[in-house]
Amino acid sequence: MLAALRAATPLIFCALGILVAERAGVLHIGVEGVMLAGALAAIIGTVLGGNPWAGMLATISAGIIAGIILAFISVSLPTDQVVIGIAFNLVSLGATSFIFRLLAKQLQVLVPAIPPLLFGLSPFTLAAIVLIVVMWWFLFWTGPGLKLRSVGENTHAAHASGINVVYVRFAALIIASVLAALGGAALTMGWVRSFTDNVTLGRGFIALAAVYFGRWNPLLALGACLIFGAGEALAFRGQGTGAGLNPHYYLMLPYILTLLVVGLAGMARGPGDAGKPYLRR
Amino acid sequence: MKNGFEIRKGHNFPAIHWLWQSQVGISILSLTLSLILLLSMSLISGAQPFVVLASLFEGALRGKHSIISTIRETAIITLAGLAVLIPIRVGFFNIGGQGQIEIGALAAVIVASNLQGSPAVVITAALVAAMAGGALTVFAPLFLKIKRGASEVTTTIMMNFACIQLVSAMITGVLKDPGAFYGTTRAIPEEYRLPFFPPELGLHMGVWVTLIIAMIAYWVMKRTVFGMYLKAVGSNKDAAKASGISVNKVLAVAVLAGAALAGLAGGIQAMGVTYKVAEGWSKTWGFTGIPVAFLGGNSLGVIPVAFLLAILETGARHMQAMTGVPSALVYVFQGIPVLLFVCLSAMRLLNKKSSSA
Repeated sequence: MLAALRAATPLIFCALGILVAERAGVLHIGVEGVMLAGALAAIIGTVLGGNPWAGMLATISAGIIAGIILAFISVSLPTDQVVIGIAFNLVSLGATSFIFRLLAKQLQVLVPAIPPLLFGLSPFTLAAIVLIVVMWWFLFWTGPGLKLRSVGENTHAAHASGINVVYVRFAALIIASVLAALGGAALTMGWVRSFTDNVTLGRGFIALAAVYFGRWNPLLALGACLIFGAGEALAFRGQGTGAGLNPHYYLMLPYILTLLVVGLAGMARGPGDAGKPYLRR
Repeated sequence: MKNGFEIRKGHNFPAIHWLWQSQVGISILSLTLSLILLLSMSLISGAQPFVVLASLFEGALRGKHSIISTIRETAIITLAGLAVLIPIRVGFFNIGGQGQIEIGALAAVIVASNLQGSPAVVITAALVAAMAGGALTVFAPLFLKIKRGASEVTTTIMMNFACIQLVSAMITGVLKDPGAFYGTTRAIPEEYRLPFFPPELGLHMGVWVTLIIAMIAYWVMKRTVFGMYLKAVGSNKDAAKASGISVNKVLAVAVLAGAALAGLAGGIQAMGVTYKVAEGWSKTWGFTGIPVAFLGGNSLGVIPVAFLLAILETGARHMQAMTGVPSALVYVFQGIPVLLFVCLSAMRLLNKKSSSA
């Protein structure tokens, strides 16, 4: 159970990020890249700054920078958000590996483990769970949350009712990227304690699956992250003992489940205007 | 200007005007800008930019061996690019190339190592199996798109990872070579590998097949009725439907063809180069195909872009050895041109809109 929660923590952060962005109508395929950037920044900050807080600071700034870049490209310009996301992932994969090589001498150490805070749960896990509830409350029970969702559903209606669509999407994408970067930090600082090339291994996409699985609802997405995290934990256990089912079948689980949900539920459409660039008419 | 993007259109400079106005021009512009960026990044790591560039090309194009591996790489990347390009013509964004390549390769290896018969028959059967494997992989996303309206972006990404894990499960499980310490299939028997053509050169048949396929695809898209249908469905589904085109059929054919080509890419690589499917046997060709498709623009334009990226990929190791610049830079070069390309195209669009308004 603890292992499942630990594996789910990075997913939860990323899923939250994707949720915010997509509720505001921006497809956040670049989440994997942002996560990688955050993962590297966390390690650089912790090693060079000497303590975990410096790592957190570095992660958050990496998230903000990535968010601004992504927002500028995909909100200010009428571009295809999917292409941007994929290209951003490639750039981020290259850039993080490049920077990691440059600093390899300092970075090839294990950062100190973060002690558990409560019930054996790391601060990251606790923060993730708190954030899920906060996000749910924000999206469905507050005014700004309603504005955000309306931008995602119908940009022109939102614009007509006096919402600054570009501003909302910009803000949403920056928040989303900070959350995704924190997901990366939760992976490197909170779990494996070091950085390697492509350390995220497609976890951003698993988070994407979790959001679709959870139908853009934070609480359901949490459930999905826990299921997928449990699958990953089981796969590791299988690898350790060498018994039971081939671990790769467990790693397939998130994707197959998501495909099934999309296939069976059909109605699982996202926010109406997600993915459409906004052009003022 | 409303949008805040004041771009000098360069009417006084015909060359700049041309660069700005044509798709090819924007492709070249973004590739050049990225190359400059790449070289300045190599400055950061303390190497001479021109030494870096020279070692990159030296690694890829010096000597028979490296030229051949660059050309083989070009073939794979071209097919991966076509696998994105053809479906995108009908508005289907096939991100599942990587999964299709892996499944195609595995299918080819299974057929080639289990069938008996004359080499020509077995090799053809294996390549057909590779194509079928690729097409099968895209079947679920296609079905969900047509019947349920599910976005192919999600479903092909999911299929990607599902396929990669499935192949990993197979090569560490059922199909594992019992003699190996890591996950790999048995090697394909000698006589069923792709023959070299011409024989004295180390260039396998797959390269020529790829070239022919690219030309056929170009011809189909430019010169046939079906190519016209593709364009019609891609630009406006409702109008296409109203004019009597069976939209779903055209969509299905284009998508299946694209995925089959990705499968074929895997098959060719497995049967002509690696001779087996092992852990970490592939590079991320499926994702490389996306920049190639966007920058190439059409089926023949894909080839030079693929060649450029192939040079980068094969030259990268030599570059790292000679100059100490990390080879990971290559991925940056796959992403940046696309970002630039998309941005520049969007700016051009905005510019046109505001100047016509």
